[in-house]
Amino acid sequence: MNKFFKFIEKVLMPPMTKLAEQRHLRAVRDGIVSTMPLIIIGSFFLIFAFPPIPFLAELVEPHLGTILFPFRLTMGLMALYASYGIGHSLAKSYKLDGVSGGLLSLATFLLTVTPQMVDEVGFVLPMDKLGGGGLFVAIIMAFVAVEILRFLQERNIMFKMPEEVPDSVARSFEALIPAGVIIPFVWIIVHVLGFDIHTFIMEIFRPLVTAGNTLPGVLVPIILITLLWASGIHGVSVVGAVARPIWLTLLDENVEAVAAGAEVLPNIAPEPFFQWFIWIGGSGATVALVMWMLFSKSSYLKKLGKASIIPGICNINEPVIFGAPIMLNPILAIPFILGPIITGILTYFAMYFNLVARPSILAPWTLPAPIGAYLATGGDFRAVILVLVNFAIMAAIYYPFFKAYEKKLVAEEQGEAGEQI
Amino acid sequence: MVLYVKQLTNRGDIRMKKILIVCSGGMSSAIVVKALKKEATKEGMETEIKAVGTGEYEDTLSNGWDLVLVAPQVRHRLDVFKEAAEEAETPIAVIDAQGYGPLGGPKLLQQVKELI
Repeated sequence: MNKFFKFIEKVLMPPMTKLAEQRHLRAVRDGIVSTMPLIIIGSFFLIFAFPPIPFLAELVEPHLGTILFPFRLTMGLMALYASYGIGHSLAKSYKLDGVSGGLLSLATFLLTVTPQMVDEVGFVLPMDKLGGGGLFVAIIMAFVAVEILRFLQERNIMFKMPEEVPDSVARSFEALIPAGVIIPFVWIIVHVLGFDIHTFIMEIFRPLVTAGNTLPGVLVPIILITLLWASGIHGVSVVGAVARPIWLTLLDENVEAVAAGAEVLPNIAPEPFFQWFIWIGGSGATVALVMWMLFSKSSYLKKLGKASIIPGICNINEPVIFGAPIMLNPILAIPFILGPIITGILTYFAMYFNLVARPSILAPWTLPAPIGAYLATGGDFRAVILVLVNFAIMAAIYYPFFKAYEKKLVAEEQGEAGEQI
Repeated sequence: MVLYVKQLTNRGDIRMKKILIVCSGGMSSAIVVKALKKEATKEGMETEIKAVGTGEYEDTLSNGWDLVLVAPQVRHRLDVFKEAAEEAETPIAVIDAQGYGPLGGPKLLQQVKELI
């Protein structure tokens, strides 16, 4: 078992954490995280528009269009917000002006979309390219914009202002030449040459998105996340840096289907799949273990259980991962890694055969899992049952390992007490 | 008497210690803040301790801190945190796993004392 942890620490961890800390991926992660409040609040309007109670659903039906506007202008423009956030983060990581980086990214991304003329309205932008469907384009365009900005600034190719001009004014002119390079560049490619950047980039990333929705595509992140946590590294933070754009694209397709009134949603595995059904009480579904600890004969485990149960219900499980500990603990790491594979397979098939609704809503991650699952599925009570079943499975898997570990601790505690006498 | 108290608090060793704890989302570190604060108060140490997520870290850092503590689960990002901390001339260290939790207060305080 020690060899196993050494393997994680030496072989698995370094390349993964290095990848997650790569400058551009870091900017994508931070940029997307900054859009989360908008996406969470915006997607709640989907629940208002399609309430799970038939009576209410009939009541709001005539107002559907109005109710969905906040959703369309937040979640529906996800890529637009992300483009600014990513550009801002990437520019800051190069110690360039964050606002300039964000605005240039935004302009570069908008230039990939062709305005359409609509009678009586004037020019409009097709919104489907500005939502989840355009997320990968937004990411690539932010990279292009900020890299050009950096290239020009590093070579001192910029608009020089006289010294008397205040710094804040001078800075606003720094982006002038980069904008003068980037805008014509994208304009020529997209509008003059007529190259369809959206289709091109989405075709490159499509296989990744499709793979993310398969059973292996669900199990790989699950296993990587628990392996990383078993050596004490924040697994979701590392894996999410790479997987979150995929999860968001899957989510967006589901959300669009809901807004269009579909009964069965296209995708199984957006992030709420993991968050509410697998990570009940945090990665490794540790709240089941904490429950056993509450009744433990070991005074330490009992004390830790009491201190960890409320954070656990809110999906915060560092206290038990570092406290029990699960980290580098061969006894508790086994159920921590194996259990989620089983609940992951079960949940996948439950949704594959439409026994439980597929997730479409992002809810705040500190909600208790049954509530989160109910909201995430747009109000499917079967989702609550599945969470409880998964919790029971995890409790059963943890039990024998918990007992073995408890026995060891009780023996140590009695030994200590004996020494004190 | 008032004067005496003032003099006492102005002395470097009793001065309030400002500690910044950074974790992924600022959630689990909030629990650690509570545990550390309780332990420090017990020993008569005056502290101001704040928990932040990685996103707010750099902006908060400029407020002036005596010590930055990094949660163990984000220790793979130490290099990035360190760069900013060095610029702000603030010492930085990763919290021992055993000290990171509601029961880890005494252990963490010991680590803090060694660092400040």
